[in-house]
Amino acid sequence: MGILPQLILNSIIAGAIYTLVALGFNLIYGATKFFNLAHGIMAAIGGYAVFYFAKILGLDIYVAIILGVALAGFVGFGLDKFIYLPLRRRKASNMVLLVASLGVMTALQAIIAILFSSRFKTLSGNVETQKFFTILGGVITQTQLVILLSATLVMAGLVALLYKTQFGKAVRAISDDEEVARIIGINTNKIIGYVFFIGSAVAGLAGILVGFDVGIDPEIGSSLLFKGVIASIVGGVGNIYGGVLGAFLLGFVENFGIWKISGEWKDAIAFALLITFLIFRPRGIMNK
Amino acid sequence: MAVVVVTIGYFVLRGPSEISAETIKIGVIAPMTGDLAFMGEGIRDAILIAKENMGNTKNRYEVIFEDDQLDAKMSASAANKLLSIDKVDAFVTFSSVTGNVVAPIAEQNKAVHFGIASDLNVAKGKYNFIHWTPPSEENKVLIVELQRRGIRKLGIFKGNAPGAIAVIDDLKEQLKGTDIEVVTEQVFNSGEKDFRTIIAKSKDSGSEIYLLLAFSPELEILVKQMREAGITTPITSIENFEMSEQLDLFEGEWYVNSADPTADFINKFNAKTDKSPTLGAANAYDIFNLIVAANEKVEGVSKPTSDQVVTELMKITNFSGALGNLSVNEDGIIVSKAAVRIIKDGKPVTVGN
Repeated sequence: MGILPQLILNSIIAGAIYTLVALGFNLIYGATKFFNLAHGIMAAIGGYAVFYFAKILGLDIYVAIILGVALAGFVGFGLDKFIYLPLRRRKASNMVLLVASLGVMTALQAIIAILFSSRFKTLSGNVETQKFFTILGGVITQTQLVILLSATLVMAGLVALLYKTQFGKAVRAISDDEEVARIIGINTNKIIGYVFFIGSAVAGLAGILVGFDVGIDPEIGSSLLFKGVIASIVGGVGNIYGGVLGAFLLGFVENFGIWKISGEWKDAIAFALLITFLIFRPRGIMNK
Repeated sequence: MAVVVVTIGYFVLRGPSEISAETIKIGVIAPMTGDLAFMGEGIRDAILIAKENMGNTKNRYEVIFEDDQLDAKMSASAANKLLSIDKVDAFVTFSSVTGNVVAPIAEQNKAVHFGIASDLNVAKGKYNFIHWTPPSEENKVLIVELQRRGIRKLGIFKGNAPGAIAVIDDLKEQLKGTDIEVVTEQVFNSGEKDFRTIIAKSKDSGSEIYLLLAFSPELEILVKQMREAGITTPITSIENFEMSEQLDLFEGEWYVNSADPTADFINKFNAKTDKSPTLGAANAYDIFNLIVAANEKVEGVSKPTSDQVVTELMKITNFSGALGNLSVNEDGIIVSKAAVRIIKDGKPVTVGN
């Protein structure tokens, strides 16, 4: 068996993290049709909120996690209300929205660095307090199991939300054609605001889980966004299932890619996957 | 008329030492914020101690500190700012990353540059110097210690950085002809946080010890993930353990470092900061004193040129510094010795030179 079980586990864990980022990103893209580059910073907001509430204020860790997820959601909701919605009302192009989101990402990243410094911080305790599980010779930590479980639950929850509720029908209608959705009486701006809240909250959760697994710094959002965007494009941008598929494909390609070659090629491999899809299957696996 | 008389009188009457007083500006680029801020602060404190203790000089000396967070882009912008706005005469940089960025800028602008760096490329050119224990010295000590402990199989984890590359290239060269074999060598990029796959690749390599060459926070994350993967093999490093604030992570592990500073420097540093000197602090202290000594030796009343300062620096032998008696070799490198240290009760302790 050798290192194969560990490689598979590592790929699944990486895929689960990318899934959480890609899910929110795709949800927002589906409704708004623009690349929200500020999505990654929601992960940093979630992670730093937990650091602040749990480690500085000393709140219960579960309360801190709920507050962190909620804060990321509210920041996302606020960004839509105060920046993106006014731009959409002025019929701003997707390029303008993209540039605005880039500005938001840069500004929020700088604010986090000013408030908390750019030093790396970890949300977890010592290695000794971590529980380990062995699966077919591969080791997985308790935190990684929680990541895996969270990704599964969030995906199931989003699918249920989109396909079993009136809200989901409205989101899908907006995703198909916002103009028609508005004509048939859907309050599109209100629904998009909720979509921003949910998508950003999921990104916040991703940041919190990465904070427990590895740690956080103000740039965590950029690196997660980078992988989330690749996963979304590879899977089919705007498609929930596509995002999940793309995330796991990226996780496997990255980890198996450096099996026989040096680890420094990891990001290059991720880019190679992106370029391959952009050339040969630009609409992604799910071909939405 | 009165103003003219007073002005002429001022210049005629003031002493010769005042006439020659020129301000030599030294720009220091080091991480003052971020994960390695504690090291930048150590370098700043050491230079300030040197400045406070320099005594009477014919020139005035001004030090300007710039933060680069050990980011090459920020290093370049800091160097350009120091040159164009502050008009510095000399640079002091910390790390091979920063040194490699500033060396060509210093060379092009004929500014003296001292790097606290492992990569010998930093000393390339007329105006560039290094004051750091070179990889060859550190590797010599590492190999002797590995042999003394009967270690034959070495695993390596290294960040893709100029300093680490220079150290490993030299180590491989020195290992030729010994019975020590590198059984796995894993490389990762700066900023990497997920080391699990490269750890899995090296797990069954049969390494008897792992040599870790990484900066903070990659170093701490790597060690944490190695422990999570169930690796209990000893770890060692060249310098990098002391670039971390979490020394308890390396409790009981030995490593190679530059030799201990003198007791005099340790006392001065401790008196000013209430702390032990950080890695590179003694080098920074020496560099400031060397730049001052070279500038002071230049004869004449006008401001020394960089060429004159370089000439004086190249003449320096047996200079009494914080790291012992220092000499500048023909490559512009000040060779200092390495030592074996161990982390004991969360503190570095020298166990052998």
